[in-house]
Formats: sequence, structure tokens, C-alpha cells
Amino acid sequence: MKIEYGLISCDSHAQLHKDTWTSRLSKARFGDKIPEIRETTNKAHMIRASDKPVERWFVHNTVVGERGTVNCPTAMGDPLRKTFPQRWEEVPKFVYDPAERLKALDRDGVDGEVLFPNDPVQSATFFQGDAEFELACVQAYNDGLAEWRELSDRYVPLAIVPYLSGIEASVKEAERAVKKGHRGLVMLAEPSRTRPGLTHFNDPWWDPLWATCQDMEVPIHWHSGAGLRVSIPRWTGFTPNQGQAMGPAGGFSTQAQFIPNLIFSGVLDRFPRLKWVCAETGIGWVNYVLEACDHEWERRHLWTQGIVTRPSELFKRQIYVDFWYERAGVELRHLVGIDNIMWESDFPHSTSTFPESREFVERTLKGVPENERKQLLYGNAMRLYGLAA
Amino acid sequence: MELKYGFISADDHVQEHPEVWTQRMSKSKWGDRIPHIVPQDDGTERWVVDGQKVDLPGVALAGAAMADRAREPQRWAEVPAIAVKPAERLTAMDVDGVDCSVLYPTVAGRAGETFCTISDPALELACVQAYNDWLIEEWASVSPRFIPQCIVPLAPNSAAASEIKRAVAKGHRGVVVPSVPMMLREALPHINDSYYDPIWATCQELDVPLCFHSGASREIQFPPYVGFTPEVATALEAITRPVSSVLVLANFLFSQILHRFPKLKVVFAETSLAWGAYELELADHQFERQRLRTEGYDLTPSELFKRQCHLVGWFDSSGLKARKHLGLDNLLWSSNFPLATSTWPESRQAIARCFDGIPENERRHVLVDNTARLYKIQLGAG
Repeated sequence: MKIEYGLISCDSHAQLHKDTWTSRLSKARFGDKIPEIRETTNKAHMIRASDKPVERWFVHNTVVGERGTVNCPTAMGDPLRKTFPQRWEEVPKFVYDPAERLKALDRDGVDGEVLFPNDPVQSATFFQGDAEFELACVQAYNDGLAEWRELSDRYVPLAIVPYLSGIEASVKEAERAVKKGHRGLVMLAEPSRTRPGLTHFNDPWWDPLWATCQDMEVPIHWHSGAGLRVSIPRWTGFTPNQGQAMGPAGGFSTQAQFIPNLIFSGVLDRFPRLKWVCAETGIGWVNYVLEACDHEWERRHLWTQGIVTRPSELFKRQIYVDFWYERAGVELRHLVGIDNIMWESDFPHSTSTFPESREFVERTLKGVPENERKQLLYGNAMRLYGLAA
Repeated sequence: MELKYGFISADDHVQEHPEVWTQRMSKSKWGDRIPHIVPQDDGTERWVVDGQKVDLPGVALAGAAMADRAREPQRWAEVPAIAVKPAERLTAMDVDGVDCSVLYPTVAGRAGETFCTISDPALELACVQAYNDWLIEEWASVSPRFIPQCIVPLAPNSAAASEIKRAVAKGHRGVVVPSVPMMLREALPHINDSYYDPIWATCQELDVPLCFHSGASREIQFPPYVGFTPEVATALEAITRPVSSVLVLANFLFSQILHRFPKLKVVFAETSLAWGAYELELADHQFERQRLRTEGYDLTPSELFKRQCHLVGWFDSSGLKARKHLGLDNLLWSSNFPLATSTWPESRQAIARCFDGIPENERRHVLVDNTARLYKIQLGAG
């Protein structure tokens, strides 16, 4: 990847074209279960009820996403970012057309993007049907996104994996996707809690997948809650705006609870060259995880319990986190580790810095020395994903 | 009071002894529903309240005082005297350089939640009153170095207000309320509901801090893997518990309770300070994004926090480094004795490490002045 602007977003969302699944899945085999956009007048499919028909994604005849056709409020020209397209034709082309999107990247001063899924992929899974359906949907997604990479090396695509066909199928799809150009996997943080019946993340059952990814030198990614959400019941007295303000304000609690599990799971010591990226984290609380894990490890002599490496060393060796708008966290960056932090724009989601990413960067990194800026803004990403300059 | 060491611990736990409730509650009226210890088939002992086992990893929480910190006492005979006996506790505080100790419960719930799950309000009140009476009679009366805090019954809401008044008149200096009552008992409304206004109003009127301690519900903690050893599992719980309070604080800052009770002081205990600056920045970011100024909020979340809220640290240096974002007046420190996570008996070293590079006057603010002000501890000229 050529570095012109000095900025790589390590968490952006690729919206695949509406025909991605209908053009790839067998109509004879999957019929009307194939993911597609359909018109609906059912008000249960709309967060804001409308008398006009709207379009929604349907996967296995189940509606996905009640806010709009596509999650791209940052691209809609609404400064409050409350507008979601209600029909496919309202979705700006630069959200789903990879050639048009390159122009949007130039406009925002971004050299490249690490691509996480958008609609209708939920938490990087297709759990609506059976194993055969899941595998077909996953492969179509990975094939569709690989085409972006073929178009431009400014895209760093991440593959998703099937969960319902056994570990060999997951390994095989990871290998296939990486051969097609994918540079990592997006997964659930704790499969057995997102979908009862799946094997717990800590179980060595997963080891063949970790071994394969370590060999291929591709990191595993967890995006935001990664299929988990620890929360307290939302008060019914909140207005919609208050509820929307409060919800994300506690969101990092979930990540701050499952990253310690990764650290204590034994997986990092079993696969010491495999990297883990926790996307859309922020960094100003990660210092808590490191200090708390080290504290309990010391207090309770956890090296006698099989956790042989100091938690903060495991983190520095193998885990990456992202930031985008915060300032206090940037001041604490050395506590987290300057090698472990990457920048993200979160385009085209509502929290995104687009189209003012440069202004955000200047405000956030005020006073940060040039060599550290380079590392945070693109250097760490180039090293992690093996992106040649 | 003259301070000898220069450290008031804002969060420690008493260990209730086996007769706290049996001595104070009528056997003829309550029978076996009274909190008491019951031997288990596997040779361990557990506390039982109203037929329900109290959710503790032992018969007490005293990891810091055990030979092996990773192991909680499983039988009453194993519980160290420094966890249970006030006179011995004073010696343990001297060993660790602690002048005063703000007391939270253990069997009554580390966040005061145990009796809130009882569906019979008369039994709930009797259990709460026995605890509140005991803490004054057997701890606070022994030494002014103990700062007692009462627990409250949550149903009906009038009972809470009158119990707080009764307890404060007896000498209690803070009020411990579980932060997520709606997750403890189905009949209880959401914490933001005006049902609880008598509690907030009474705390404000009596000028005693309201204390939300981490760990009121396991449901806001990611459960440890079943394949972990008990030692690793409890370590993970000790890590997930303080950050489960992120959810509690985030909700509270938007709840408008602080707007309605502007003089109410709130302590979020066993939180650490480490994630606080990020939480305030995030809450303000969300506040601006959703334009909440147009919805009756006159202060931002971080402004409300600085006016009324406090976090408690014990092992973490990073929150202190970010102190200007949190407000120096809003930070407290603790030893967390006798929990396994406690810095005891090396709190001096932990303080030296965590406060490294912080000027003496600012240090004193966090270690002494803020807690003394909240709990009205009169400091002598010494």
C-alpha cells in the first residue's frame, strides 16, 4: 500500500452490493432464504414507523436491521447522523462501490482501510439457518469482499468463518479466504454465549484454527462487543436520544471483561505468534485491563495456575486496540504500549470521523511526537498486516 | 482525630460473625430464615438466608489474610481473626499504615445486596436492622478509626428512608445501596425510577454519602470459563467486577438523579480509577452527539461527575495520571482489606508505586482529605 496521507483506518465497514448473495447462492438449493433486499410495509421492521414501504435486508426470511437498509449514517449528509437510508437507491454509491469509495478515502485523507462487515452480516455470523446455508453465505461474503482487494491494495479485507460445520470447515474457509487476499479473520469473542451449543473460546477444540492463522500470519479480530453484550436493563423513562447516549457510554465494559479472558485463556502462550485485534475499543480504559490483570496475577501467584507469562507482557506481545476521537487515552498511550495502538475512522458508522478525519487526528494527537504519530496512524498497521510501502 | 499514617481507606469490608443475626432476631418469629451458617455435604460451610445460599466463594471473604490468597476460608474455623475481630483489625490497619477504614459488608453483600433479594419486607427489614445495629455495637463503638456505613431495605421505599434516618442517628456515616435493584428482585423498579427518591432525598438531607459498591449483580459480569481452576476464576471475577461498574456509572450520569438531587454525594466503590477518564470523555461525547442540552440537562456528564461523584482506586496508577480529567476532589483510595485483591499488608508500597511523581498536596487530597470531607472525619492538628 502506498502511503500518501499517512493514515490507515483499522476499522471501517465494507457494504457489499445488494446482489452479493443472490448472484452467488443456488436459487434451487436455498430459494427465498438467500440474503437479499426486499420491500416491506411491516412497521415491526422499522425503528421509525413510516407509511411508505421501506427496503430491508432479509436473511433466511428474517429481517436484519430495523434502522434502515444499510448502516451508513455518516455518509448521508446529516450532521446529527440520525438518517439511515430506507431504500437501496438512497445508499450513496461510495458506501458499496469500491471504485467510488476510493474517491471518498481521498476526500477524507485516508490511505487504506481494514474492512469489517456491514449489513446484513451480524457480529460476523450467518446463524439464521443451518450449517449448509451458513457456509454458502460466508463464502459468498468472503468472495464478494475479495473483489475489493483485487481492485485496489488500499483495501485490507477481513474474512468471516463458518461455525456450524465443525472446526475443519472453519480452518478450510480461513485458508481459502486468505488465498483470495483476506488479511485476517473477524470472529465472535465467545461463541458459546452468542450461540448456545458452540464450543467455548477457551477450549483447545479451536486450536487447529489458531495454528493455521498463526502459520498464515493473519490476526484474529474482535469488533466492538464481538457478539457479546453485558448490560443493565435500559430505563423505560429515557427518551430515544437519552437511551442512545447512555447505551454506548457503558459499552466498553463488555470488551474490558472479555479481553482479560483472552489473556488468562492460555491461547496466547500456546500460539505466541498469533495476533489479536480488538477493534472499536478506544484506549483510555485498556490501561485498566493491563493493571488489573497484572495486579491479580501478582496477588494470587497465578503463575502457579498455568498463567506463566505476565499479563501485560502477553498483551504487548500479541494484542492490538484502536482509537479514534479520545484525548485522555492518547495521553496514557505509553501505559498501553505505543506498538499496540492503531487508528480507526469507523466509516460509515455514526461515530465515524469521516469526512473530517484529519481534523480529528490533529486534535487528538496534539503534542504527540512525529515518530509516535506515524506508528499510531499507519506504521503499526503496516507491520501487523504485512503491507509493503 | 490525629492521623498517624496519612491514609484513610475508603473501601474495606467487615466480616460478619456467625451470631450477628441469630443474636438479634427472634428465633420464634423467623426460625431458620435468620441468616446463619450451615454445614454442607462436602465438609464446607456456607451462609444461608431465608433458605437461599449467599453467593460467596466461601464462608467469608478474607483472601488477603489467608496463607494462600487464592483460597477463601471454607469453614468458619479457618477465618482469620483480623477479618472478624475489631481489635485485631486495628492491629492489621497499623501493620498496613491505615488510619481509618470505611466499612462495607460481606455476608450482607459486598454491595449491600443480599437482603434485597428477600421477598418478605418484614424479614428484609429485620435482617438489615440487625446488621446496622451490630456494626455500631461491635465495631464503631470500639474505635473512631472505623467508619460505619448502613445498608437499607428496598421495599417498601418508605422503609429505606426511615431506616437510613434511624441508622445515621445511631452513628452510621454512609449509606450502601445496591446499584442494580431491578436485577435483584423482579418487583423492584429500575434504579432511575422515582420510587427511590426518598433514599436520595434522605441521603442529601442528612449529608451522608450514597455508596454503590461493585458486584451488586453477577449478571453484569462475564462468567469465567468452567475449565478454569477456582483460583483463576476468582481472579477473573476480581477483574470483571470493577469494570461492571462502568455500566452503573454510565446509566447514573444520564439518569437525572444528580440533577434532581444536586447536593447528593455518590461514591462508586471498588471501581479503580483507571477507566474513569475514558468514561467521562465517552459520556460527554455521547451527550453532545445526542444534543441532550435540549432535553433538560443543564450539565454534561463530566460536570455532574465532578460536582457529585467519586471513584475508589487501590492498585492502579493510570487513573492518577489522568487525574486532571477526573477531578482531584473526586478520587478516593482504599486498601480493600481483607479481600484477596487487597494491597494489605503492602499498601504503603502500592501507594508509593501508584502515586510516584504526584506532588505531596495532591497525594494527601486522594489519600486523606477527600474521604475525610465526605465522611466528616475531624482531622486533628497533628
